[in-house]
Amino acid sequence: MRLPETPRREQAENVIPLINIVFLLLIFFMLAGVLTRPDVFDVQPPESRQGQQTDLPDEGVILLGADGRLAFADQELTLERLEDEVARWLADEPDRRLTLKADADVSADRLLDVMDRLRDAGADRLMLLTNPAEY
Amino acid sequence: MHIEATPRRRRNLVSLTPLIDVVFILLVFFMLATSFLDWRSIAMDLPGQGGEVSGEPTALVVRIGADAAVQLDGAPLEGLEELEQAVSSALQQEPDRLVIVRPADSVRLQQITRVVERLQSAGAVQMRLDRGGE
Repeated sequence: MRLPETPRREQAENVIPLINIVFLLLIFFMLAGVLTRPDVFDVQPPESRQGQQTDLPDEGVILLGADGRLAFADQELTLERLEDEVARWLADEPDRRLTLKADADVSADRLLDVMDRLRDAGADRLMLLTNPAEY
Repeated sequence: MHIEATPRRRRNLVSLTPLIDVVFILLVFFMLATSFLDWRSIAMDLPGQGGEVSGEPTALVVRIGADAAVQLDGAPLEGLEELEQAVSSALQQEPDRLVIVRPADSVRLQQITRVVERLQSAGAVQMRLDRGGE
C-alpha cells in the first residue's frame, strides 16, 4: 500500500490573512472606542430619551452607587469629605461644571442628601448623566 | 567559478509569531479598555437653600409619590403623558418658569429620570430637585 506523501508544511498555513483581520480589528477598536478609566465602583446610570449628548467629562464627576457609596476624583469618600473636596475643587474656578453619575437604583433620599451637600459646597447646578434608552 | 544558488526559503527567516502575539495583546487591551457607551446629560438645579418647602411662588411643583404616582401643583395626574401635556400648557405663557420635582424618599432615580425627561420634552428649561414628595 502506498500512502500519499505528506505534503510539505506549507509556510505555516499562511498566517497572513489572520494577521490582516487581527490588524483590522485592532484598528477598529482603537478608532471606534473611547479609552476610559474604570470607575472606582460599578454604576449603572438611568436611561433617558431626552437630554443632551455629551462626552464623559474627565473631571468633576461625582459617582453615586446603588448602595449609596460616593466617589469624587477617583477616590471613594464620605458625604462630609465630599463637601470639602467639591468646595476645594470649585474654589479654583467657580464656573466649573459638576457632573453626577448616579446609579438608577439610588433612592431620592440619598440623592437629595448628596445634592444638599453639593449646594453647601457652593455649586448651584449639575449635569445628571444618563444613557440613551433603547426603545 | 562556481556560485552557490541562493537559498530560496528566505521568507521564513523572520518569524511572524512574535508579531502576532504582540498584535493580539494590543487587540485584547483595546477590546477591554474601550467603551462604546453613549452619554447624555440633563441639567438640574440643586435643592433650595435651607431645605425650604415653599420654594418660589411661581414655580410648578411636580410630586412623585412612593407608588410612582405624579401630581402637578397638588392635582393628581393619570400618567406621564398627562403630566407632559399639563406642564407644556402651563409653560406656554412663561417658558422660563422653574419646575420643582419633589420625589418621595423611596423613589428611585430611574423613576425621577422618567419624570424629568417628560418635563424636558414639555419645554422646561429650569428644573430643580427638592425634598417633600409626600
